Amino acid sequence: MDKLWVITAREYLERVRTRWFLFSTVFGPVFFAALMILPAIVARRTKASEEVSRIVVLDATGHRLGHRIADGLSVGMIGDTARTRVQEMTPDQLAPAESLATREIVRGELTGYLVLDSAALDGRRVRYAGRNASAEADMDMIRRVVRESVMQTRLEMAGVGPDRSAALVRTQLEFELERITDRGRGGSARVSIAFALIIVVILYMALMLYGQAVLRGVMEEKQTRVAEVVVSSVEPWKLLAGKVIGVGAVGLTQFAVWIGSAILLLRYRAPILEKLGGSAMSFTPPDVTIGMGLVLLLFFVAGYVFYSALFAAVGAMVSSEQEAQQALMPIILLLVSSFVFFQPILSKPTSGLAQTLSWLPFSAPIVMPLRMAVIPVAGWEVAVALISVAAGSYIAVWIAARIYRTGMLMYGKRPTMRELARWLRTT
Amino acid sequence: MSNAAVEIQHAWKRYTGHVAVRDLSLTVPRGSVYGLLGPNGAGKTTTIRMLLNIIAPDEGTIRIFGEPHSKPGITNRIGYLPEERGLYRKMQVRRVLRFLAQLKGMAKADADRGVDQWLERLGLRTSDKDWGAAKVDELSRGMQQKVQFISTLIHDPDLVILDEPFSGLDPINAQALKDIVIELRQRGKSVIFSTHLMDNAERLCDSVCIIARGEKVLDGAVAEVKARQGDRHVAVVLSNGTPVGVPEILRDRALVARCDDSNRMLEIELAPRASAQDLLARLIAAGAAIERFELVRPSLHRIFLDRVGATGVEEGMSGHG
Repeated sequence: MDKLWVITAREYLERVRTRWFLFSTVFGPVFFAALMILPAIVARRTKASEEVSRIVVLDATGHRLGHRIADGLSVGMIGDTARTRVQEMTPDQLAPAESLATREIVRGELTGYLVLDSAALDGRRVRYAGRNASAEADMDMIRRVVRESVMQTRLEMAGVGPDRSAALVRTQLEFELERITDRGRGGSARVSIAFALIIVVILYMALMLYGQAVLRGVMEEKQTRVAEVVVSSVEPWKLLAGKVIGVGAVGLTQFAVWIGSAILLLRYRAPILEKLGGSAMSFTPPDVTIGMGLVLLLFFVAGYVFYSALFAAVGAMVSSEQEAQQALMPIILLLVSSFVFFQPILSKPTSGLAQTLSWLPFSAPIVMPLRMAVIPVAGWEVAVALISVAAGSYIAVWIAARIYRTGMLMYGKRPTMRELARWLRTT
Repeated sequence: MSNAAVEIQHAWKRYTGHVAVRDLSLTVPRGSVYGLLGPNGAGKTTTIRMLLNIIAPDEGTIRIFGEPHSKPGITNRIGYLPEERGLYRKMQVRRVLRFLAQLKGMAKADADRGVDQWLERLGLRTSDKDWGAAKVDELSRGMQQKVQFISTLIHDPDLVILDEPFSGLDPINAQALKDIVIELRQRGKSVIFSTHLMDNAERLCDSVCIIARGEKVLDGAVAEVKARQGDRHVAVVLSNGTPVGVPEILRDRALVARCDDSNRMLEIELAPRASAQDLLARLIAAGAAIERFELVRPSLHRIFLDRVGATGVEEGMSGHG
């Protein structure tokens, strides 16, 4: 036990001391923060610019519609109604006024002009021309203000009082989306899909990266022949176990930092965003209970042991990077297979495919958490999946230990399947 | 308590297609320097790996200091320098050594103290430069070899096993290693080393075991092994080159069974019924100027060639260390 600890400690400390670890551990939270803050900043960008109010309104309606629009454009922007010029005129005067305005726009004195005639009051058509005609946010704002103003004017013309018409026109409509699945309401649809995607990507990346770290570690020990010195002091399985545990502990450390910083960021999101000048959008963090977190952890650990054992076996078999790439293919395919079915599983998490994949030892570590993120999964199914992965891990470790013991001291040619089978049989 | 450091009895190791070790038995006396000699591929490394319980023999028993070699904790008393050397390249020298010492059951503080002493002794830690703080791959090859020696000896093992220790060593490190071996011997430690360099073995070993093709050819104390080969060997040095008649004499199978011509010196094995006297008389009659004419025990090199034969000898084996 003592020596297992020495090996585990070396694996852990040597990895944690590297610059790469520091970088990726810090980069995680930075990435997460960016993910959280950028949308808020981008959202601010999609608001209309101040340019919308730097226009001239050519009003030929005779109902002061232009002034109403000018007020609407200024409100909430800079509160400077003087920026929007309104010219009341007869329909005949529109054409020369337009060409005058165009020249001003060309000279850069104005951004655009809005033409209001009887068609506007009829609720049929208005025209806008300007430099920002393709700026989506600006146009949205002008469109909304013009629409509301036209509606209000028409209401007043129909005999509705000014206060009442104003109240009728200004309706703030929040559009909430909720997803209903085969099993009923599934909570906020977008959040659970995003959450599922994040879980799957993180699990997949973690299994791949830490599995490969084990592989490289094993290969390094084999290539530099350190393994021979070490296994003359300890049993080979301890070297293997120490490596797997040590690298796994590095992974968990990294996760702890990431998850911890994510929780802190979520909690202090509003103040941070306020400092940055954005506003906190309504965002419901996924409802992750302690139980769910624990199950995720179990799946990660079991899946990690399963895959890292296989990666280690490959590392012990091969003598060069190139050979490793070839021998890795079957394992990578196993791992990718659970990722490839992401879309069908997500759209139909109760299908036979999804169920089967969530029970098989090689795909369960990714597919089961994925299903659990989008639908409630029965407790017994989770238990079956966990037992399956645990059993798969046990077998993988058994195989890996045998291949490892023999392979670590075999240099040169890669073993054939026949030789591998014999390595497994020898005790 | 057994008086042997290592006892191997009837050990076999088979691989597909060949037998690496065939019914090998040998005894390494405690406190001796023991040479495991044989050409490349003779089974030396396999034997050593079985000793260290890195691979299991198919048959046979191995005892170390009277205990089964698989007994937990016995490896803490053994220091091993493998033929192919390697350390964690990206690791700090001091940390590598501490790690390997801890694997031999040393406490961290003891390990650190030992590391510093050894680094100083081998000149890797001086007042102006401490290589212990450097990474392994920043060290020169010679320095890495020294670090490897330290890793073998840091835990003051009772049994030291060196597999082809002199291969790839520069002369200075080779001398340092010889000094270490002598010192270990003086302190009552047992040393086993494998080599195909007979000169080294002859100078360093108390006892030897020659193996070829997985089988023991002969073993015993060096003096005894040489005595067993008889004293029918003559070392001859001529001061006037090789006069015309001499090659003819050397080819006379009634007189000379075999002649090993090392240019300056001839090592001659007399034919069964020939006498050294006759040989001397004939050489003088042929006009040879005798500088040295001595009845000698055969060298290990000679014995090795005789017993293993040219077929068991691969390239690189016949070199003198």
